[in-house]
Amino acid sequence: MTRKRTFAALAIALLPALLFLAGGLAAAAETVPQPIAYSHKIHVTDYKMNCRFCHSSTNKSQYANLPSVEKCMMCHRTIATDKPEVKKIASYWNEKKPIPWNKVIDLPNHVYFPHKKMVNAGIPCLTCHPGMDRAGTAVQNLEFGMGFCMDCHRKKKVSIDCWTCHY
Amino acid sequence: MLDRRQFLKLGGATAFATLFGGCDKVQRRLIPFVIPPENYTLGEALWYASGCDQCPAGCGIVVRVSEGRAKKIEGNPLHPVNRGKLCARGQAALQALYHPERFSRPMKRSGPRGSGAYAPVSWEEALSLLMEPLKKIKAEAPSSLLMLTGPMRGHAGLVAGRFMKSFGSPNRVAWDPFGPDAMLSANAAAYGVRDLPEHDLANARYLLSFSGDFLETGISPVHYAREYGRMRGDRETIRGKFVHFGPRLSMTAAAADLFLPCAPGTEGFVALGIAHVMVRDRLTAASSAAGRLADDLGAWSPEEVEKKTGVHAHDIAAAAEEFARNQPGLAIAGTTAATCADGAFHCSAVALLNVLAGNVGKPGGLSFPNRAQAFAKYGPEAGLLSPSPESGYAGTRAALEKMRGGAFRIAFLSGATNPAFTLPPSLKFGEALSKVPFVVAFASFLDETTSLADLVLPVPTALETWGDDLAPVGHAGAITLRQPVVEPFHDTRSMPDILIAAAKELGGEPAKALPWGSFRECIEKAYGGPGGEMEKALQRGGFLGEASSPRSAVRTGGVSLPKAADRPLEGDPKAFPLALHLYPSIALYDGRGANLPWLQEMPDPVSTAVWRNWIEINPKTAAGLGLAEGDGVTVTSPSGKITAHVAFNPGIAPDVAAMPLGQGHTKYGKYANGRGENPISLLPAGETYALQATRVALVKTKLSTALARTGHPEGQWKVKNMM
Ligand code: SF4
Repeated sequence: MTRKRTFAALAIALLPALLFLAGGLAAAAETVPQPIAYSHKIHVTDYKMNCRFCHSSTNKSQYANLPSVEKCMMCHRTIATDKPEVKKIASYWNEKKPIPWNKVIDLPNHVYFPHKKMVNAGIPCLTCHPGMDRAGTAVQNLEFGMGFCMDCHRKKKVSIDCWTCHY
Repeated sequence: MLDRRQFLKLGGATAFATLFGGCDKVQRRLIPFVIPPENYTLGEALWYASGCDQCPAGCGIVVRVSEGRAKKIEGNPLHPVNRGKLCARGQAALQALYHPERFSRPMKRSGPRGSGAYAPVSWEEALSLLMEPLKKIKAEAPSSLLMLTGPMRGHAGLVAGRFMKSFGSPNRVAWDPFGPDAMLSANAAAYGVRDLPEHDLANARYLLSFSGDFLETGISPVHYAREYGRMRGDRETIRGKFVHFGPRLSMTAAAADLFLPCAPGTEGFVALGIAHVMVRDRLTAASSAAGRLADDLGAWSPEEVEKKTGVHAHDIAAAAEEFARNQPGLAIAGTTAATCADGAFHCSAVALLNVLAGNVGKPGGLSFPNRAQAFAKYGPEAGLLSPSPESGYAGTRAALEKMRGGAFRIAFLSGATNPAFTLPPSLKFGEALSKVPFVVAFASFLDETTSLADLVLPVPTALETWGDDLAPVGHAGAITLRQPVVEPFHDTRSMPDILIAAAKELGGEPAKALPWGSFRECIEKAYGGPGGEMEKALQRGGFLGEASSPRSAVRTGGVSLPKAADRPLEGDPKAFPLALHLYPSIALYDGRGANLPWLQEMPDPVSTAVWRNWIEINPKTAAGLGLAEGDGVTVTSPSGKITAHVAFNPGIAPDVAAMPLGQGHTKYGKYANGRGENPISLLPAGETYALQATRVALVKTKLSTALARTGHPEGQWKVKNMM
C-alpha cells in the first residue's frame, strides 16, 4: 500500500518532467524556418567545405558556434552576390546587424554536451547530425534520447557514469 | 492510428503548451556576432592582465572575458602589490564599464553652467570647439591654460606634463583628497626623504597604528591587508601584536589586539607621549637622537598626554615599553591622522617613533625604495611618471585664487577626485570656476565637477585603455601595464590620446614634445613594442620582476621634535559638544564609488548600513540626547549644516561623532544622488585639507528616509549593556 502510494506520488511529481522531455523530442524533427535559406548541401556536399570552417569552435569549446556575419562576407563579398539569399546576408552586413538564426538542435539543460570532447576524439560531425551535409537549412534527423548517447559511449568504451553528462 | 510514441509526443506537446505556454523563456534564437572580437571562442573565457584604477593604490588585475565581454575581475597573482587579491572597489570596476549613465559621446553644454544640460556633438565638432580657443591662447597667453587632474602616474603623467610644458603653461595641478602631502613633508623632516616608505609589516613583531585604517582605505589597503595577515599568522612562533590608537572603532581597529581611543586630531600627541617614555626609560635604539630630544620631550609625559588625548597614561607607558622591547616593530600614521589641520605634525611625531626604535632600513621596519630607478631613462622627467609630485591642497587653493582673479581662459578637468564635491564648500570651487570662460572635462560620468564644464570629452574606463603605472607602495620596482581587456563600449578617447592629437594640431613645440600617433604608440615605444618584451609583460600584467634596491641615503640622525601647531577644532565646545571625525568610506572612498550599486549595497563593516550616510555616536551620548538607533539628526558645525541618521557605535568616545565620506551627491547619477548630505560641507576652508577640523552639535529631527542596515544592531551588541 505504502509502496503504491509512493509510486503514485513519484509518478505525479515526475509527470511534468516526462511531458517536458517528450515535448522536446517532438519538436526535434521539424524544419525550422530561418531568416536566410542557407543550404548546407551547397557548401558541404557541392563545394566540399569542412564543417569546421564555419563552426570553428567545435574542437575548442562546448559550443559549435555559428559563423559571424563577417565570416559569411569573407566569401560572399565576391561569390554569388546576385543570389537573393546572399543579398539578404549583404544587407545584414551593411546594416551591421547580426542574423537572428532560429535554434534547431537543443538538449535539455541537465545534459552537458561538450562538442570539443567528441570532435577531438575523432567522432565525425555526421554521426550526430546525419544528413546535414545534404540538407537545406539546418535539420535534426536524430532524436537525442539518452539511449543514443549511451549506445555510442558503450561502443566506444568511454565512461557511462551518470556524472559524465549530468551535472 | 497513433502509436505509443506518437501519443506520448502529442501528449507531451499539449501538456508542455498547457503548463508552460505564455512563459516561453527558452532561448530560441542564436545571434552570432557581426564582427567577432579578437581571439574569441564561444563559451571559452580568456583572462587579460591589466591594472586597477579605482583608487590610487595601483593593484594588478586579471579580467575574465568571454564572448568579448568582461565578466569578472580578480587580483593578479603575479603582481607584487596585491598578489591575487582585490578589494570590493576593484571588483566594482565592472559596473563602471557597463554603467548606463556613462558618457557615450562628446557633449556640449546646452543650458546654464551646472544645470547638467548637454547636447551630443560629433568628435569632429568637439575637437574643433576645443582647438579654436586653445590655438588662440597658445598664441596670446599660454599660461592661461589650467590643467586640474587627479594625480597621474606613468606615461599618462608624462604626456600631460609635456603637453603643459610645451604649451607654455606652468599651471598643472593635481588634487587628491587623500593625497600623501602631510606624509611626504613628515618623511622629509624625519628621514630626509620626500617619498613614501615601504613598511615591512610581514616581518614586524609589533605594530602601532595611529588612525591608520590600513585594512580599509589608506594608501594601499589590499597590499597592507595581505602583509598584515602574514604578520599575524605566517610565522611559526611569532604572532605580531597590533595596537591601534584612533577616535573610532573602525574595521582595522576591531582587528587590533588593543584599541585605545583618542580624541580626533590628537594622534601625534599620543606618539610624543610614547617617545617621552622611550627616551625617559632609555628604551631607544638611536641613542644620539634620543639624547638630543630628551629635553624637548620632557613636556610630553604620559600624564600630560592623557589630558590632551584621553588615552590613559599607563596605557601610553605600556605601549611604549612593549613597542621598544619587541623589535622589529613599526609605527604608522593613517589617512585620518594625516588629514588633521596639522597633519604633517602628526605624521612626523609617528615617524619619530620609528627613528627612536631604530626601525628604519631593516627587515620588519621601513625602507625607502628607489622609485626613480624604474623610469631612470627619462632623467629629470622621471618625476612626471612617478606618483604625481604636485598633488596637493595648497596648489589647488592657489589655482582657485588665480581662477577668481581671471588668470585662466581655459581649464582642463580630469580624474575621479571631483573637487566640487571633495573640497569644502566654503572654498567655492564652482564660483571660482565660473570665472574661467571655457571649461573642458575629460570624464566618463557626469558629477558635481563635470557638470560645470562647457564641453565634455568622454574617456574610456580603465578596462578599455592603454597605460602603465607605478604603485605608490608594495611595487618592489614593478611597472604595471594596462591594456584594454574589451573593445571600447562607446565612442570614447583617452585624455592622453586627446592631448597627443591636440599637440599635433597645435604644431611647433607641443607636436615635437608629443611625437606619437596615439597613446598606445607612446606606451609601445616606451616598452619595446609588441612582439618583444612588451608582449610577455602584457601577459603577466607588467614588468613585475625587477626589484629596485632600497635608497641608501636615508637620514635618521638629525631628527628633531616636530612642532605642534596645536590648532583646536573649530567651534565652541559648549555650543558644539562633539568632535567630528570624518573618514574615507571603505566602499565609496572619497565618493567616487557612490554611483556603483555594488558598492552602495555593500554593508559597511562596522555600522552594517547600506545605501545612505549616517553619523556614528556612542550609545551613551545618544541616550543623553534622547536619540535612538536610526533617528534623524541635524548636524550643525560653525561652517555648515546637514542631516543624517544615527548609528550606534559603542567603540567611539562619548564626545566624538564620526561620519564616512562619499554620500551626499547631487549630480552623480541615479544611484548616488540624494543619499544623505555631504559631510564635507561641515568643514571650514583651512590652510590645510583637514577632515578632523570641527566640532558639531546634534539635534533630533524627522527625516523622510530611513537608515537601511543589513543586521539588527541588537544582534551585534546589546545596547542596554552599553549604557
Ligand atoms: S586597493 Fe585600490 S587599486 Fe587595489 S583593488 Fe582596491 S580599488 Fe583597486
